[in-house]
Amino acid sequence: MVRGSWLAVALAIASVPLVAHHEPLAKFDDKKPVRIRGVVTLVDWRNPHAHVFVNVAGTERVTNWAVELESPIELEGSGWARTNLQPGDKVAVEGLAARDGSRQIWAKSVIDAAGRLLFVVNRTPPPMPLAPQPAPRWPDGQPRLGAVAGGAQGYWAFPSATALVENGVTAPMDEWGLLKNIADAPKVAPMQPWALQLYKERQQRFLRDDPMYLNCKPPGGPRQFQLVYGVQFVEDRVRQRIFVLVGSGNNNYRIIYTDGRSHQGQVGGDDENPLFYGRAVGKWDGNALTVDTRGFNEDFWFTNGGLPHSDQLKLIEKLSRPNLDTLKYDLTVDDPGAYTRPWSASWTLRWVAGKEMPRHLCQENRS
Amino acid sequence: MTPMKRLILTLLAACLLTCPAFAQEGFPLKGSWLGTWTGNKVHGNDVLLVLSWDGKAISGDINPGTDNIKIKNASLNPEGWVVHIEADAKDKQGQALTYTIDGKIENLPLANRIVSGTWKDSRGNTGPFRIGRQ
Repeated sequence: MVRGSWLAVALAIASVPLVAHHEPLAKFDDKKPVRIRGVVTLVDWRNPHAHVFVNVAGTERVTNWAVELESPIELEGSGWARTNLQPGDKVAVEGLAARDGSRQIWAKSVIDAAGRLLFVVNRTPPPMPLAPQPAPRWPDGQPRLGAVAGGAQGYWAFPSATALVENGVTAPMDEWGLLKNIADAPKVAPMQPWALQLYKERQQRFLRDDPMYLNCKPPGGPRQFQLVYGVQFVEDRVRQRIFVLVGSGNNNYRIIYTDGRSHQGQVGGDDENPLFYGRAVGKWDGNALTVDTRGFNEDFWFTNGGLPHSDQLKLIEKLSRPNLDTLKYDLTVDDPGAYTRPWSASWTLRWVAGKEMPRHLCQENRS
Repeated sequence: MTPMKRLILTLLAACLLTCPAFAQEGFPLKGSWLGTWTGNKVHGNDVLLVLSWDGKAISGDINPGTDNIKIKNASLNPEGWVVHIEADAKDKQGQALTYTIDGKIENLPLANRIVSGTWKDSRGNTGPFRIGRQ
């Protein structure tokens, strides 16, 4: 009996695809609610998603279910720990059933025997101070995009928009860029017919083909500023470049050169090779850094939600820090290969003071 | 097919098979495609297409390096992902020959997507056409 139970757990674990932190509806069906009650057999506290395995007694036999939660990074950020549940604890779970019919649930609520609601993730940004403090600056007066002077920790997160939408357009989406109403697709951006159809099909497949989730492809372009785990700038003024580190994905970084170079690549390196992050050159203009990036490859999605792009993509990004806690990001997308005209989008990010950026390394889950 | 063409296509196929398939999430027809136009007695069963997209038009070549057939006209209708390709070629005697390929992209989200359909030439020959993106 014990051996059989662990075999069921092992099979359940094996059946859970190690897909990175993803749109839940890619895997689970919001039209299929499911409830279970049972006994915890295992808490698997691993990125990209924690799982609680639960034995559920049926009329003829016990079945083991995999209850999928948010990532340990987010759960721990909201004060939860793997020890909140132990094998043998009784739980009641409500959630969404897996689309493939397997015994997996996307947890909407997990309630323990004492009636406590567990594993609720808080994505509310920290409150803005009543009197915003000025942006930190380098001795020459240029704003600092990264940590404040003195080595205080911090990073940027809580983007006010988590998917690209043209300025002025209202097209409700979830935090992963999935449209609430597919009829809004043509409004999102001025797409060419092929791009619009491709975007619609990606949406209708619940973004399950996203190469960032399937294959740990980097979140090139503006997507790095719309991810849940945030972004960090390391300003190397000696070498005249800014490193942009993302808090999730494929453990890589983007370089914005500020030494006045052109967009040419390094001979023998990336000179002929389109890149996930393109070739970025930046120039300070007063309080704003204007970044001109081109030379992208087509092997990734440049936004949550799956807006297509071509290798003709050119981005003009304007980054400014109006106060200590706010990063303003203004973007112009110019891609005649996929769009009918240039278009713009803007959002802000919040400074998360006193914390290191969480690092969720996609590779950890692929081997 | 000439021995030289067979050798080039074999080497190319071997190379492509050993290379990882890049996702190519942009314009769905862009890239290198390898496959067959079965029953083609003039240019052989094996076929290679290299297609580009400049934002307005599809261009490219059929069997570059061997037959060098320039694509004259090509279109992709996103409604059903219907592909149409026309190309003017010459046979071994230098006589003009026009190819028309009609097909459809299958398994669009996958890196190794397929175009499947039929080919025909201006002399009334026709057969199945199937290429996969490399």
